[in-house]
Amino acid sequence: MIPEAFPEIAWSALAPELVLVFGAVALLLLDVQRKPGVKVLWGTSLVILAIALALGVWQWIAATPDAEPIFGGMLIFDRSAALARLVVLGVSLQAMVAARSLFAHLGNRAAEGLALVLLAAAGFILMAASQNLVMMFLGLEMGSIALYILAGIAGDGVRSDEAALKYLLLGAVASAVFIYGAALVFAGTGSLDLLRVAGFFARNLVLSPAVLLVGIGLLTAGLSFKVAAAPFHVWAPDVYQGAPAGIVGYMAAVAKVGGFAALARVLLSGFESFRPDWAPIVAGIAALSMVVGALMAIISSDIRRLLAYSGVAHAGFILTGLASGAQGSSSVWFYLAVYTVQLVAAFSVVSALGGAVSSGSDLSDYRGLYRRSPFLALVLSVSLLGMAGLPLTTGFVAKLGVFLWAWRGDLEWLVVVAVVASAMAIYLYLRVIVIMYMQSPADDDPVLCDRPTSWALGAATAVTVVLGVFPQPLLKLVESAVYL
Amino acid sequence: MPVVTPGWYMTLAAVLFVLGMTGVLIRRNALVMFMCVELMLNAVNLTFVAAGRAAGVLDGQVAVFFVLVVAAAEVVVGLAIIVAIFRRRETASVDELAALRG
Repeated sequence: MIPEAFPEIAWSALAPELVLVFGAVALLLLDVQRKPGVKVLWGTSLVILAIALALGVWQWIAATPDAEPIFGGMLIFDRSAALARLVVLGVSLQAMVAARSLFAHLGNRAAEGLALVLLAAAGFILMAASQNLVMMFLGLEMGSIALYILAGIAGDGVRSDEAALKYLLLGAVASAVFIYGAALVFAGTGSLDLLRVAGFFARNLVLSPAVLLVGIGLLTAGLSFKVAAAPFHVWAPDVYQGAPAGIVGYMAAVAKVGGFAALARVLLSGFESFRPDWAPIVAGIAALSMVVGALMAIISSDIRRLLAYSGVAHAGFILTGLASGAQGSSSVWFYLAVYTVQLVAAFSVVSALGGAVSSGSDLSDYRGLYRRSPFLALVLSVSLLGMAGLPLTTGFVAKLGVFLWAWRGDLEWLVVVAVVASAMAIYLYLRVIVIMYMQSPADDDPVLCDRPTSWALGAATAVTVVLGVFPQPLLKLVESAVYL
Repeated sequence: MPVVTPGWYMTLAAVLFVLGMTGVLIRRNALVMFMCVELMLNAVNLTFVAAGRAAGVLDGQVAVFFVLVVAAAEVVVGLAIIVAIFRRRETASVDELAALRG
């Protein structure tokens, strides 16, 4: 046997991730050596994220749709992976700018928390860029394990550690399901490389696809758990309710981006030839998620559970775009990019109002928020209207794109379900807005939020409205990221 | 005498995986649930080795190393969380963790 040449390593393609990982190590060392204040650590992490984002933009300009796999076929930074990286880094920066009070509260654990945030971002980016199923598993776990710890990092509430345990136990099962799916695909095709798997189907006629179909099903189930799609969503409300408010938005957003990017790559790049088999399953999960998410969100009395269930519904909308095939993936990217910004903004408001670690987030606390803090009420309203998909917000363009592609993909019934679910969702978001603007507050104490938080919230609101009115630049961006 | 082919090992692995999954679903002690997750991951390892043998490639055995490392990392974090919970409440039963509900 001829020994294979050592694969050429394109370090520059990984520059943003290297910055994140070494930045995380540097933060921990800085904490041990100098014991700087929380502000210094927090500021350093923002600088690291900003550098990574700048490098990510540079990589986006350099990325091409026909990018070559790097690291011996492990990773591929094509346009879709480069876009997923930009979204992950962008929302991480948005969430971290608004999270100073959380890290101030964590005190001497702040450096660990910030390092975990950077590592989780790197993990989910690698997951989105994985060409190989084992690499995808490693990225998934690198991100997920960091999130399990972050869910329990407050450590001083009963709810935080309970959230961490629930997330960890169910997450570990989902990871095992995912990697078993990868093992079955390997058993069926003799390869873990998604391009080679696709090539295998192009060359061979699969006579007994049972093992492969189970494998595809398990991969889909494992990733559906990570993005909180029904019926794999039961962990989401508990974790969103129990984890520190300052970090929940970040946790939810990066896991969704990584999960959907991986799902798109597995289904659209590896198993495109099995689309007649997986499309009905994905469409079924999508329909169930939209209906269950909207119904459960309507009966929630806690804003965090409400946002969790609405996240389930949004996972359904995104899966609707995915089920319509490779062309529809542009609507998936658009939806992910705009929804994560709204999600992080909404949780930043929850954190500013209820405290970064406290778990008080009952809807009654939001009564008359308009009088206590017009700014926060406005930001939350715009985010919720964006999630509801009202015109002149990015949410409208995102939903329209998903519906159009699903319609063209002959999934008319799914579009009908989606339209009904969005109508229910409008009621649920308007209910919160009515509580904030029409009811009188229990006390008139003004709610204060620190200056970085208001910058982050202001930027998110501006993005939601401006890109909602002029969506063309972002639409152009995502159209170049479809799988062909 | 019947020849033991890789298919037998994959069948055994499937049985182990289902056993582990059932264990997670019916056991109520967090530690035992964790052991069941480990069983699932080891079933995955067996599948990888058997499938690699059947296909005549090394990828399967290489994948096992990565799964092992990930399982170890997961256990480290999991046990730390369980210990933190046990210190506060003197229980590792997931039924008594019910502060979060809507």
